[in-house]
Amino acid sequence: MRKLQAIGRRIGGRLLSSVPAILGVVVLTFLLMRVLPGDPAVFFASGPSAGQQEIEDLRKAMGLDQPIPVQLVRYLQDIATGNLGRSMTTGQAVLTDMQQRLPASLELTFSALFLALACALPLGILAALRPGSAVDHVVRFLCTLGVCMPTFVSGLLLIYAFYYLLGWAPDPTGRIDIFASTPPEITGFLLFDFAVTGDWDGFRAAFSQLILPACTMALFVLAPLARMTRASMLAVLGSDFIRTARSIGLAPWRVILVYALRNALLPVLTIAGIVFSTMLGANVLVEKVFSWPGVASYALDALLASDYAPVQGFVLLMATIFVLVNLLVDILYGLADPRIAAE
Amino acid sequence: MDITRRQGLMALTALAAPAGLASPAFAQGAAASRAETLRQVTGNAVNTLDPTMPGSTREAFGISMNVYDRLVAFGRKQVDGNWVFDHTVIRGELAERFEVAADGLKITLHLRGNAKWHDGTPVTAEDVKWSLDRAVSAKSLAGPQFTTGSLSKPEQFRIAGPGVIEVLLDKPDRLALSNLAVPYAIMINSKLAKQNATAEDPWAQTWLQNNTAASGAYKVETYRPGVQVTLTRNEDWKNGVDGVLPFFKRVILQTVPEAATRANLIERGDADLSIDLQASDITTLESRAKVKVASIPQTNGFTHISFNTQVAPFDNVKVRQAIAAALPYDSMFKAALFGRGRPLFGGSFSGQPATADFPQPLPLKQDVERAKALLAEAGLANGFSTPFAFSAGQAATAEPLAALVQEALAKIGVKVEIQKMPDAQFNTLVAEKKINFYTDAGTAWLPATYYFFYLYFTRDQRWNFASWNNPRIVELSNAARFETDQAAYDAACREMIGILAEQVPLLMLWQPNMDAVMGPAIQNFTYQFYRQVDFRDLKRA
Repeated sequence: MRKLQAIGRRIGGRLLSSVPAILGVVVLTFLLMRVLPGDPAVFFASGPSAGQQEIEDLRKAMGLDQPIPVQLVRYLQDIATGNLGRSMTTGQAVLTDMQQRLPASLELTFSALFLALACALPLGILAALRPGSAVDHVVRFLCTLGVCMPTFVSGLLLIYAFYYLLGWAPDPTGRIDIFASTPPEITGFLLFDFAVTGDWDGFRAAFSQLILPACTMALFVLAPLARMTRASMLAVLGSDFIRTARSIGLAPWRVILVYALRNALLPVLTIAGIVFSTMLGANVLVEKVFSWPGVASYALDALLASDYAPVQGFVLLMATIFVLVNLLVDILYGLADPRIAAE
Repeated sequence: MDITRRQGLMALTALAAPAGLASPAFAQGAAASRAETLRQVTGNAVNTLDPTMPGSTREAFGISMNVYDRLVAFGRKQVDGNWVFDHTVIRGELAERFEVAADGLKITLHLRGNAKWHDGTPVTAEDVKWSLDRAVSAKSLAGPQFTTGSLSKPEQFRIAGPGVIEVLLDKPDRLALSNLAVPYAIMINSKLAKQNATAEDPWAQTWLQNNTAASGAYKVETYRPGVQVTLTRNEDWKNGVDGVLPFFKRVILQTVPEAATRANLIERGDADLSIDLQASDITTLESRAKVKVASIPQTNGFTHISFNTQVAPFDNVKVRQAIAAALPYDSMFKAALFGRGRPLFGGSFSGQPATADFPQPLPLKQDVERAKALLAEAGLANGFSTPFAFSAGQAATAEPLAALVQEALAKIGVKVEIQKMPDAQFNTLVAEKKINFYTDAGTAWLPATYYFFYLYFTRDQRWNFASWNNPRIVELSNAARFETDQAAYDAACREMIGILAEQVPLLMLWQPNMDAVMGPAIQNFTYQFYRQVDFRDLKRA
């Protein structure tokens, strides 16, 4: 009970202390967007016969005719009431767009992170068990390859091999077979939605669409995770308690997976948290290559068009997610190492 | 320390898992209707169902042409084996027939008696009047477009009886009728729209962005902004040529940002059509011959190099002529477009051209000696330096072009600094007339010669790329607009083209091809003035 209270207090404290940071990010993004050259009104009033009058009208409609401090106050008021503005690139409210697109990005990022962890942990452990061996070199080679290859190259390569040449993968566009019926809309996480409704054909379709982009992203983040696992495992395996565990004759798998791994996991968790946040924002190339309707490609399109509202909304969303992920990592720390939770 | 067999196996299983998961192609959904479904993939997106909204994309125009009817439509003709729109032939669409009065001041349109909206209610003259009023009254892109046809006030549209609408003009504007065929001239089910209008939004602009109230050949089944639009055929549609229904029962327009992926999809037969692939991919696709490529010059567009004619040194006509004589047009055409287009340089006339058609090749030729002489005459024998700008969105063609401009101008002593800018920044600077030497492109929906000059070479406005102010051109283009005598009109147009060729406020380079890449069984693709796909004409053999 006391422990729960402590955790609750910690969460509350952390959330409260992140408010100024988020506010700072919001204001900074707001100012940055307005400093950038490029007038959204000109960009969007670019019909074949739109003249100066149309540009002025549009500027007024978007509130850009007001001085910047006034715009900022209005913007903050809007955010406080949950209104993130309207995107000119899609013609929808930014909040609606985000609601539709965030699950797509999250589903992809979670799958990719899961895949990456599922590969990186065993690889890192294997490499740490035999440092300098052939296994270690193979792992190092794989990691280097993954991190050197830009995601759009590996993505295009995977598409070329598995879709174009072999025909194993479905066409790499979007989250579901385009000719199939529309998926149920419950949470927006297609795998989950199909599983809940018991539509296993749909589940398979969504799954096979997901696999290539998830692999592309996993390949890219394999390196930090595997390298961190290796380094931290090496340090732990050399410590006294492992020697003790071995000397009293515990089974080797028990020594490695239970005693060593649990202790080696802390830095890996930190990295995984950072990797997750980075992936969510930086998977724009993967989303573009696989026509994945996610938030990152949405924000990029908006940025290229100088469309203020979606970019600001995206940064706000990312900042919030970053805070939440860090919080989650902190809580997981406590599970992996009770000493930290007690503090 | 040893790894046991079991540990090794566990690790290997984890490694092998992702590879084993890539299941064979998922072939569900490719059921009977696949042959009757057309799937177009594009790099851009539809962002509104109402094409008149500011910021609407070209894809949005394309969708609206298939979903909404206009009162009239352009015909089409075959050029070199390809279908191309023909703006000189206008037929009825929602109107069964129309008459233009002899003095050109009144257009009478008779609606089809059997036409119905998508909800089954009949199309009335009141609906048409409301739609036309909306085009000229609501704040949208339609208003400024309609003024190019002298349509600006609701009083100009009159209900003259059941199913009869009159359009009244103060002057016999050549393009009044043509303007009723452009994407903005949508005919809206006014009863449905009014139900969704509010006090602040009497023309239901917000509602119509995400909903339709139309009568066209296709209905919108699903609309996901930025992702895909699915259309279903309207089985009651009788407003096409001879009342024939379109071939495809279902059309999917999907956004696939990566051009290489679009090419793969078409070559594998999973998608049927794309009109925005990369020029370099198209050559490869053609050589593998698994797909069909229709290469059609975009006859109503042009790529150009513009000077700011209001700013030194480009305000001096000799400087402009010198640069015009210094450029290697053939090499630029090959490097930028791989020769896929129609050149607008190398014309042979001097003085005035033989025809009044526009754009037509102007007498632009490389002549370095003449360029040097002209520059010396302008008092700039030692040359000068200038930036040359283009937008990142056009980099694929503009980058090689800019490199050649830089190289060629170095030979006459002009130092060029190449500036590549993000699209939004580039557009803003062009609109504010802050770039003095750049390349860009333009298209006119209504390719009448005077319209090109009115739009691109007169007035202080954004599309006057060169900020050109030539009193004779202003006078001629204004007169030509209301000229009813064809010979006098042609004479005015030829004189304008002559002045343009001599004054070179901008250098017309070429008309790039539209390369429509499609499955081998797709037939009847038409190049349309709004540069999108008319699904109503397409067939699968």
